Amino acid sequence: MNRWLILPVLVPFLTAVLLALLNGHPRLERAVNLVSCAGLTVFVYWLLGHVDAHGIQAMVIGGWFAPWGVAFVADRLAAIMLCLSMSVGTVVLVYTFFTVEPRQERYFFHPLLQVLLLGVNWSFITGDLFNLFVAYEVMLLGSYGVMMVGASKPQVRQTMAYIAINSIGSTLFVMGCGLVYATLGTLNMADIAQRSAQLTGERAALVTAVSMLLMVVFALKAAAFPVFFWLPDSYPIVPAGMNGYFAGMLTKVGVYSLMRLFVLCFRQPGAELVLEVLLVLSGLSMLFGVLGALCQWEVRKILSWHIISQVGYMLMGIGLAASGADVAQAGVVASIFCVVHNMVVKSSLFLIGGIAGRISGSQKLSEMGGIAGLAPGVSILFLVAAFSLAGMPPFSGFIAKFVLIRAGLAGGHGVVVFVSVVTSLCTLYSMSKIWNYAFWHAPSVSAPLGRYRAMMLPTAVLVLSSVLMGVVAEPFLRLANDAARDLLDPRAYQEAVLLPIPEPTTAQTSRLGGVP
Amino acid sequence: MELLMALVIGSMFAAGTYMILRPSLIRVVLGFGLYSNAANLLLIACGGYSDALQAPFLRDGADGYMDPLPPDIILTAIVISFAVGALLLIVSYQVYVDHGTDDPENLPRDPLS
Repeated sequence: MNRWLILPVLVPFLTAVLLALLNGHPRLERAVNLVSCAGLTVFVYWLLGHVDAHGIQAMVIGGWFAPWGVAFVADRLAAIMLCLSMSVGTVVLVYTFFTVEPRQERYFFHPLLQVLLLGVNWSFITGDLFNLFVAYEVMLLGSYGVMMVGASKPQVRQTMAYIAINSIGSTLFVMGCGLVYATLGTLNMADIAQRSAQLTGERAALVTAVSMLLMVVFALKAAAFPVFFWLPDSYPIVPAGMNGYFAGMLTKVGVYSLMRLFVLCFRQPGAELVLEVLLVLSGLSMLFGVLGALCQWEVRKILSWHIISQVGYMLMGIGLAASGADVAQAGVVASIFCVVHNMVVKSSLFLIGGIAGRISGSQKLSEMGGIAGLAPGVSILFLVAAFSLAGMPPFSGFIAKFVLIRAGLAGGHGVVVFVSVVTSLCTLYSMSKIWNYAFWHAPSVSAPLGRYRAMMLPTAVLVLSSVLMGVVAEPFLRLANDAARDLLDPRAYQEAVLLPIPEPTTAQTSRLGGVP
Repeated sequence: MELLMALVIGSMFAAGTYMILRPSLIRVVLGFGLYSNAANLLLIACGGYSDALQAPFLRDGADGYMDPLPPDIILTAIVISFAVGALLLIVSYQVYVDHGTDDPENLPRDPLS
């Protein structure tokens, strides 16, 4: 019983309330926001160390023991995701200090950012399916707010479409929760894993069908093929800086949920059908995402399309979990490593795109040029991040793809591996297109249009993390390995969550004098 | 009872889908209202709705008790769909004010313009 697990949810909630009250004092708001983010970042890194050393931590809320009450669970995967969410969030927050407009701060930018963090953290730490739905909704409402903050015409119009597509997803999610409860009689993830493993015959097929519905919901959130069309239109209109957080984190919440549910929870015979479908979708996501990127001429749009192809890599790792034990282990490890690498690199690329836009006053490749001469430091950051995204050694992307392709070959999935290699080459081509037009050509401006130097610091932190993960991959891979083992074998998770119910003491009996 | 519920839920989803596909933002919002209520009815059906069951905590020795959890989920879902519905209404009205049209087809195509 670890009461501290409430902090990743409680701190953003209280901070959001406080920041809403402080509205109109931008300096104070920035300070409070930064202290809150940095403090929680320190805590989640401590939590990761604690979980790594002492096993899975769980807490039940309101004295209702699992599987009846809502459980908060921190296993290694959840702790890794929390660390990334808070690290990228803090870095992006510092970056937005230089890009956010006073009008956006007046319209509650800071509290909305905290609501977004609250939803993302909550979806990582919850151990209950319906609670995950609520966390998703909080996250979505926060993302609607951040997307629209300042309410320019294109923002409002595109947010309308974004809300519409996510509302359809939410409806399916509620239905999925209800149907899981109807077929399994539980919503607690550890209990779902336990009960679904005991199913046979028609009941098992029914649960597989229901879980397919949830797969669609999370694929929509992760922007996998064929439900990705909302993403390349939506992300470019998110305020500069925050689009780094959106790109890095929000689709990964969908990927995380797929991993949590389809690797850990659903274990009925026939459950691997969903994973096989995911494997097919992963190949298509890679291909369509990168092909979409090749025909774009706007930096933010190119990067947005690449999110879709990168999500394909992560789904491929999850899809491999349908194979034998060793391949499943390697696939999930690769998927976790891909998620970690991608959050860092994708966010940094969006931040670099923002800096490039600040220097040349445009995000269209035709109107940019010569940034390598105007700002050499920025071009070095871009090169490293772009090479890492395309999977070049010695950066994190190479390790991620190497582990993934090795797992895919071991599982005998030649077609998907081939697609992933082709996608890597196309990614490299697409990055070189940005390099040629934005960084290399004749300069479009004689001197940088805006002040950009301070923005390079948070960006450099992310880029250096990617280099670190590539050069010193061993501890990260070890952690991913342990996290994957906990997912594939749910016993440790179940032992931590489904606590033996303690004997009631006199203090615990209810005030009505009945049974507690 | 279950057949009736299934028919009602199916019709509501059909009506909601029809509304969402109309070229008018306000109808899209109403379509989502139908969707969320259809999903709530589905949750009631998931709880094993029938006349024979008693509410829990009221009487010992009944034939069976209603499951208290689905109504619980429905309450939460209602609150959330209410909030999102309100936000959708505001946003769709703002789009109408910004662009002078309620028809998504007439809005400018490029989101960055």
